[in-house]
Parts: sequence; C-alpha cells; structure tokens
Amino acid sequence: MKLARHWRGLPVATLCLAGAAAHAQPVTYALDPEHTRVHWEVLHYGTSTLRGRFDNLQGSVTLDRAARSGDVSISVDTASVSTGVSALDRVLRGNNFFMSNKHPQAYFVARQLRLDDGRVSEVRGELTLRGVGVPLTLRALTFGCRTDNAAQRELCGGDFEGELAQSDFGMTFGLSFTSDRVRLLVQVEGIRP
Amino acid sequence: VKTARCFKRRYVAGFAALSLAGAAWPEGALYQIDPTHASVTFEVSHLGLSTLRGRFARVEGTVMLDKAGRSARAEITLDTASLSTGAATLDAQLKAANFLNVAEFTSASFKADNFSFKDQNIVAVEGALTLRGKTLPVVLRATRFNCYFNLLFQREVCGGDFETTLERSRWGVGQAESLGLADSVRLLIQVEAIKQ
Repeated sequence: MKLARHWRGLPVATLCLAGAAAHAQPVTYALDPEHTRVHWEVLHYGTSTLRGRFDNLQGSVTLDRAARSGDVSISVDTASVSTGVSALDRVLRGNNFFMSNKHPQAYFVARQLRLDDGRVSEVRGELTLRGVGVPLTLRALTFGCRTDNAAQRELCGGDFEGELAQSDFGMTFGLSFTSDRVRLLVQVEGIRP
Repeated sequence: VKTARCFKRRYVAGFAALSLAGAAWPEGALYQIDPTHASVTFEVSHLGLSTLRGRFARVEGTVMLDKAGRSARAEITLDTASLSTGAATLDAQLKAANFLNVAEFTSASFKADNFSFKDQNIVAVEGALTLRGKTLPVVLRATRFNCYFNLLFQREVCGGDFETTLERSRWGVGQAESLGLADSVRLLIQVEAIKQ
C-alpha cells in the first residue's frame, strides 16, 4: 500500500516507441483496461494447463525514447482472480494463496526497460505479492505503436512473458498438485494522453 | 495404466453426455469431462499490437477411449455465453448478433472419432466444429497428454492441452477485421476427463 501511493505520485511510464525520433520528451501512457490483462498458467497434475487471470488492474507506463529508458508501475487487485471456476477462485483469494484480505493488491514496479530499435524488448522490475517482493523480468513477445483512427491518439501495446515460482512468495499449498513454476502472460495497451 | 484419450473441447454446450446413448461407440472406457479442469481459451491479435485472450469456461462432454486399440471418440459441447475476457463491454460485443450471436447459438460442439496416437498417447484429433450453426472440419494438436490416478476422485483421469488455429470468418463470426481483431484465432484447450 505504501508503495502504491508512492508510485502513483511518480511520473510513469510509457510504452511506446515506434515514433522514437519524434518524441524527445518522456511520454506517459495510461493503460487501457479493456486491453491490459495479466494471465497466468500452471501445470495441473503434470497433465493439463490451468489458466487464470486478474481482471482488475491499474497503472501506467512511461517511455523516454531519447534516453532509451522508462518505467512501469502496475497494481493488480488480487481478489479479481478469475479461472472460470468460482470455487477455485475463492481458494485462490484465501490464505493458502493470495491472501487477498490482508494483501488486496499485488504490485509490479520496473525502472529498467530495454529498448531495441525503439521498441520495448524487456522490462526488469519487482513483483510484490502477499507482501513479498521478488525480481521479475518480462520479455516482449510483440510490441508496437500505432495511431488510433477514431481517437487520433497514439496507442502502444504488446505481449510480455515472464516466469515465477509459487514458492518464492511462500505459496506452497498447491505444490502437490500444480507446478511450482508459473508462466505469466501480460497483454498491455497504453494510450497516449 | 491407461492412457489416453481425450477430450476435446470446447465449443459446445451441454448435451454430449446425453447423446452418447444412441451412438455407436468404440470399445474402451468412458470418460466424463471434469468441468473444473476443462476450458477453451482463445487468442486473437488486437490491432496488430497485443493479444486479446478470452475464455469459454463451461465445457461438457464425454470421451470413449480405447488405449490398447488406439481409438477414441468424443463429443464435447461448450456454452457460448460463458465467454469471458474480463471486460464486460468487450464480452457484450463478442456475444452480439454480428459476432458469436450467443442468443441464437447458445452452444458450440466438437465431435470427433479420428484420433492419432503415439504409443498410448493422443497426439492429434480430427473432428467437426459446429459454431454459430455452421460445421467445418478442425484438427486439434495435442501439446501435452497424460493419464494419472486422481486421489480426490479415486479414479483415473486423462487429459492434456490441445490447440488449433482457425479463421473465425469461416464460421461467420464477425467480419475479418471486426473490433480490431484479426481473423485468425488460436484456440488453447485444457481438458481433463474422469474415467467412469
């Protein structure tokens, strides 16, 4: 919580790059909630992939193309976890997993962005979940920017991928039936103000 | 140890199990899909920028699997209204008449009896996907397949991950560029089924 407040006060980041040369100043993009989502995947009994996502998140991204840097801050409402199975969602919100009552939000903050040819290719930061902070690197699978025809505003977006271990956050309850390894897939789109 | 078989997924809703009775099933064991471990996720590019993912959460059906004989047959139904992307506005657009039209086409179905095996594991499934009232052939590729003894159910469970890529416009789901979404849609199917 403290962190979250802190971040909100900061200039945040931006995602875009394509027009790199045209933008000398850092630009902060607001995340589009319809097209920004955190998905996760774990292996169930070594057999099939269980998928879930977090539906509610807030944040922004600032890109400084000239400096080839930027930063990201995102907060996720852990109670918004959704697997499509409500009984499972309740378990995930509980004390064996996300402890949503005590830790209603998870945070991802990154100030190490790698830009290649004007495109975000990697984001290194820290994920805080259940009050435990763990380094997390997200790699871009796709990234690009375009001008939205209707709004005449620049949109940037991409898909990012990362890996976590449940046990790094003290979540060991599920390890007898799911993989410790969690694959994260993050869809993100940001709109230039 | 038994193996394989599988289920398919997705698209259809509801009646697979009931329809078994009158069908000519191969030899083998009957497996009922575990609705808590079966779902269909779709991935489609949005504006060429990022990948929109959504899920059909309600999947039902049965699979008859003969591992020794390396044959299987499956009938799966998916509830189209169970579509969820996590964004209500988007869900409404995808369910609308000009897209999935879930009000008229409440279920999608997948029926298959052409299974490919490697040893006793299913590696591919050729079947017919009925979506928005139109039936076309689809091949699902298994990226993972396994059977195990589930302590909770005290029964064997078989399942895996399957995927395919299709062009939604062939089933009349929207226009090629509706909602800024690409025509090409990747389906990721998680399925586990419990031996009866």
